[in-house]
Amino acid sequence: MVSDSSLNHRLTLLFLVLVCLVFCRNLTSIGAAPICTNAQTGCQALSLANLFDRVIQHSARMHGISNDLHSEFEQYFLPSKNQIGRVSRNCHTSTILTPNGKENAQRMAREELTEVILKLLMAWRDPLWRFHQGMAHNHDFNNFSSNKALEMSDMVHELRKGVEKVADKMQMLGIISNSVSSQVSPEALLPSDSAEWHLMRDYDLLYCFRRDSNKVQNYLKILKCRIVPEHGC
Amino acid sequence: MKEVMEEAVLLFLLLVIYTPDAQGTRYSPPGKPELTRCRSPEKETFTCWWKPGSDGGLPTTHALYYRKENSDTIYECSDYHTAGENSCFFNKNDTSIWVNYNITVVASNALGSTFSDPVDIDVVYIVKPNPPEKVTVTVMELKEWPFLRVSWEPPHKADTRSGWITLIYELRVKLEGDDEWEMHLAGQQKLFNIFSLRSGGTYHVQVRCKPDHGFWSEWSSTSHIEIPDYLHREKSMWILIAVFSAFIFLILTWSLHMSSHRSLKHCILPPVPGPKIKGFDKQLLKNGKSEDLLRVLVVSDFPPTTPSNYEDMLVEYLEVYVPQEQEVLLEESKDLHDSCLKFEGSTSDNDSGRVSCDSHTLLMDKCGEAKEEGRQTDQEDSTTEAEAQGQQKDWDQDTLMYANGDILSPEKSSGRVKTWPSVFSPLPQYTLSLPDQTSSLEMAKQHCYSDSLFCPGSTSSYLTHLGNNDNETLGPGSWEICLSNRQPYSHIPQMQTCQQVRSHSDVNISTIARKQEPAGLPLPFFRPTAYVEVQRFDEEDMVVLQSIVSDHGFHEGFPQMLQQEDYSKVKGVDSNNMLLLQTEAMKEDGDGTTPHKPTAHIHTVVSTQDEMAQPASGYVDTATIFTLPTY
Repeated sequence: MVSDSSLNHRLTLLFLVLVCLVFCRNLTSIGAAPICTNAQTGCQALSLANLFDRVIQHSARMHGISNDLHSEFEQYFLPSKNQIGRVSRNCHTSTILTPNGKENAQRMAREELTEVILKLLMAWRDPLWRFHQGMAHNHDFNNFSSNKALEMSDMVHELRKGVEKVADKMQMLGIISNSVSSQVSPEALLPSDSAEWHLMRDYDLLYCFRRDSNKVQNYLKILKCRIVPEHGC
Repeated sequence: MKEVMEEAVLLFLLLVIYTPDAQGTRYSPPGKPELTRCRSPEKETFTCWWKPGSDGGLPTTHALYYRKENSDTIYECSDYHTAGENSCFFNKNDTSIWVNYNITVVASNALGSTFSDPVDIDVVYIVKPNPPEKVTVTVMELKEWPFLRVSWEPPHKADTRSGWITLIYELRVKLEGDDEWEMHLAGQQKLFNIFSLRSGGTYHVQVRCKPDHGFWSEWSSTSHIEIPDYLHREKSMWILIAVFSAFIFLILTWSLHMSSHRSLKHCILPPVPGPKIKGFDKQLLKNGKSEDLLRVLVVSDFPPTTPSNYEDMLVEYLEVYVPQEQEVLLEESKDLHDSCLKFEGSTSDNDSGRVSCDSHTLLMDKCGEAKEEGRQTDQEDSTTEAEAQGQQKDWDQDTLMYANGDILSPEKSSGRVKTWPSVFSPLPQYTLSLPDQTSSLEMAKQHCYSDSLFCPGSTSSYLTHLGNNDNETLGPGSWEICLSNRQPYSHIPQMQTCQQVRSHSDVNISTIARKQEPAGLPLPFFRPTAYVEVQRFDEEDMVVLQSIVSDHGFHEGFPQMLQQEDYSKVKGVDSNNMLLLQTEAMKEDGDGTTPHKPTAHIHTVVSTQDEMAQPASGYVDTATIFTLPTY
C-alpha cells in the first residue's frame, strides 16, 4: 500500500512536469520570435506594421476586458443610476490632455500622440493593480471578476511595453523624433494614498479605464494609419 | 338698482362664457418629454430624438439642454431641424468624443414647463454607421462551378481610412422565393465569395456594418443577381444517375430470373449431398439412438461377409437338416410365412435392420418375418418345444431336402415360380404365388435361425438360442445376407437362399450353440450343417445337389463330410413328408464311404403337412410339402 501511494505521487509529479513542459513550450513559442530593435543580434525583426498590428490587437483585448468588467459592475453593484451626481466624476487621468475629436487627433503630431498613449498607459498601471488587490480581498467579487482585473492590469503593463517598443522602432526609423520620452511625468500618477484616490470608487475606476483604453486603441489606430497606411486602413 | 342688476347679470354671463368648461379643453402644463435615442453615424456628429408628452392643450415648445462633463455650462441645442422633428443635431464643433454629455429636454407651454429625465451619453458608444455603399454582386466561374463575389464600400461618412472608425461587415444571401437568409460575417474585408449556389436561380444580397463598439447599421438595398443555368454539368449528373439505375435494373432482372427458374440459393449455394447409407435412418439419428444406428452400420453387409464375386452369387446353397426339427421348422416357417404375407413394407420397426426391408427390392415377408420373430418367439417356443420331442426320432431319417417353394428349373417353371434373375426381383409376387408356402416360409425362417444355431436337431437348444437371441440381431442379419446372395437358379426359393446364406454366416454361432446341446443328442447333431449346392434339376425331377466346401471353422471336425458330397437325388418323400435325398455317387466320386455318409449326414428339413404327403415322384412340390401347421 505504501509503495502504491509513493508510486502515485511520483506519477502525478511526472505528469505535472510533463504538463508544465508542454505549457512552457507553448508559452515560449509565443515569444519565440523576440522583437529586436536592431537586427544585429540575429533575432527576427518585425516590421513596423506588424508591430502596430500587435499592439492594436492587444489594446483591443484590453478594452474588451474593461468593458466586460464595467458591465458587470453596472449590473450587480450599482443600485441606482444616479446619473445626476455623476457629473462631477473625475478620472485621475483627466489631467492628461487628450484629443477629443478626429480633427484634434489628426492635428496632433505623431510624437505627441505616442506620448499621450504612453502617458495614459503609465497612469493606469498602479490603480489597476490596487484595484485587483482590492477585488481579491473582497469576497463580494467572484473569481471570474478578480481574474479579469488581474488580467487587465497585466495587459496595461504589457501594452505599455509594446507601445514603447513601437516608439523605439519609429524613432529608429526616423518617423518620429527623439523627443518622446518613455518616462512619464510623475504628475500623471496619482499618489497612492491620496484622498482623491479613495474617493474614487471601483465603478468610477472601471468607467474611467474603459474610456481610456478606448482612447489608447483609437490613438494607436490613427497612428498606424498615418504611418503605415497600406495595411488595413 | 336696475343698472346694478344688469351689470351683475352681464358679469355673470361673462363669467359663464369665459370660464373654462369642466368637460371641454383643459389647459395644463405639458407632459414630460422623453429622450428616445441618440445616434452618431460617424463618431463626429450625433443626433438625439425625443418624444414629447401631452401638450396640455396649449402649444408647447421643446428645448434641449446639455451639459458636458466637468463643466457646469449648460448649452442648448443649436440645431433642431436638420434631423427632423423632435430632434437635436450636434455638429462637429459641438461634439466631443470621450466626453460625457448630460442631455435634458424641456417641454414648455403657456402654463408651465416640464423637464425630461436626463440622459448621459458618450458619443463613442452610440455610433451607428450608415449602410455600406456600392454593393456589387457578380457571378464568377471557377472550374465550371459558379460562385458569387460580393464587394462593397464603407459608408462615405465613416472615416475608416484614417483609422478613426474600424468597421466590420456582414452580408446575407437568399434565393428569390426563400424566407430565410443565409448570414455571412465578413470581418473588416470588403470582399466576399459565396459558394454552393443553385444554378438558374435569382439571389438577393444585402450588406451591413458595425463599428468596434456600436450598433449595426441598416441593411443595404437588395442586390439581385441571377445565376445562369449550367446544364452541361447537370447533364453529366443525369448520365451518372441513368447508368446507376440501369445497373440496378439489370441486377434486379438477373435476380428475378434466377429466382423464377431456379432458386438463387441453389445457384449461389448448391446443396451439399448428404450421406446415403443403405439402411441409415436419419430419424434415428435425430432421436439419438446411437445403438440402433451403429447396428445398421454393423449389420449391413459391409464388410461383405458373403463372397461378392459374381460366381459366388450364382451359387445356390442348400442346407440340409436333421429331420427332427421338421415340425419345429415347419411351424416357424409357417409363422414366417404368415408374417411375411401380412406385412408389406413395414417400416415402423425400430430395428434398423428392418429398414433394409423398406427397400422395394426386399421381400415384404422378410420384414414381416423379422417382426414376427419377436412376436412369435414365445409361440414358437411353446410349439416347437412340443414338436421337438416328436422330432427326435426323425433325426436319423434320411436327409430331406428342404426346399422352400417350388423347385423348378427355369425352363420348367410355369407361372408358379418366377425366375430369379436378380435378388431384387419382387419376392412378394413369388410369395403370393405360393400360398401354401406359409409353412415353407416358416420353415425358412426357422431354418435361418437354426442356421445360426447349433444342430438343428437340438430343438431345445435351438429354442434356447432362439429365445436368447434377440430378434433384431438375428432377423436382420439373416435377411440381409439373404439378399446379397444372388441366385440365378430360381428354383431355389429365396427363402432357401436366405437360409443358406444365413447358415454360412452364422456358422460360428451354430458352433457355439452346438456346444450347448445336451449330451444326449445323437452324433448327427454335432455335425455342422452341410451345404449342398443344387446344380441342376434332373429330368427325372430330381434335384442334383452338390456339397460345397465351407470355409467356416466348425468344419474342421468333419471336413470330409462337406467335401464333394453330392446330394443330388431325391429319394423320396417319406411318410412324414420329408424329402429324402440320396447322394448320387455318380456325380462326384469321393471315397466309397460317401454314399453312406450322406445318408447319415444329410439333414433335411422338410416341413410338410400330413395331409399333404406327396408321392415320391421326381418333382417335389415344395409348396405342397411345406405347409405350416396352423396353431
